[in-house]
Amino acid sequence: MNSISGALRTVYGWWWLVLPPVSGVAVMAMIIGALVVAPREIVEGEVQRLLYIHFPSILAAYGAFAVVAVASVVVLWRRDMRWDAVARGAATVGVLFTGLTLATGALWGKPVWGTYWTWDARLTSTLVLFLIYAAYLLARAMADELDEAAARFAAVFAILGALDIPLVMFSVTWWRTLHPQPIVLRPGGNPAMPPEMLLVLLIAFLGIGALAVWLTVLRSEAEWLAKRTAALRAVADRYEGA
Amino acid sequence: MEHLMQLEFLFAGFAVFWAGIFVYLLLLQGQLRALQREVDRLEERLAEAETAAAPRPTPRP
Repeated sequence: MNSISGALRTVYGWWWLVLPPVSGVAVMAMIIGALVVAPREIVEGEVQRLLYIHFPSILAAYGAFAVVAVASVVVLWRRDMRWDAVARGAATVGVLFTGLTLATGALWGKPVWGTYWTWDARLTSTLVLFLIYAAYLLARAMADELDEAAARFAAVFAILGALDIPLVMFSVTWWRTLHPQPIVLRPGGNPAMPPEMLLVLLIAFLGIGALAVWLTVLRSEAEWLAKRTAALRAVADRYEGA
Repeated sequence: MEHLMQLEFLFAGFAVFWAGIFVYLLLLQGQLRALQREVDRLEERLAEAETAAAPRPTPRP
């Protein structure tokens, strides 16, 4: 068990060395690639370049919410509050990237569809996903840091909330939507885009993915420190009251 | 004209994205600062408690 713990600590230490430079370099390459290297899309024009931040952002959000769901299962199974800190940290990153996806999508939609927002299945289910985890974070913020029952209730809510992710993903195939069909992760098909665009998109996945992992690690660590500080405060209060 | 409008929306999209990341980092920094202050307060309380609990030197006859 100690060797596993030691290995995890080593990996964690490496993250701090690897993630900031990787995300920095990949994000710079993504910006140059998106604005300069990638060819201009014929139908939608320049605004289509928002794809390189819009699509990786929602994938980063899916990843973050998957981490929330897994960490929440561990909270219920092991009753380990360390994983509650991981779930909270990942949920903030998921809400951030879902919000950024909705915002960049609205700015992409206005010149292409003629409107910032429409109550179509993909947009609505994404908004619901954002609201579910915003409510989760609000509930966790209102509860005491050390309240384990609140952490378990929140874990159940987070696991149920993750059921919205497949709904968002498959909404464009299950219903008729204004949002376009998948062009990269197509069921049983190759990506429907030129290789130059695909390369820039892959770099964007790497950059925004690494940024999301780094922010999740930072935030989870901050949440864990907040829990430990709250526990120390409670001990100090008891000590002084005795 | 349409090309210029598209560039405006492209710029707005990238600006919103980076502003969002920047605001998130500012909020995280605020949380860490609040934690630092809390740890400082706890250290002060601990030092005061140790001082109060320490045995007083007995006066020499």
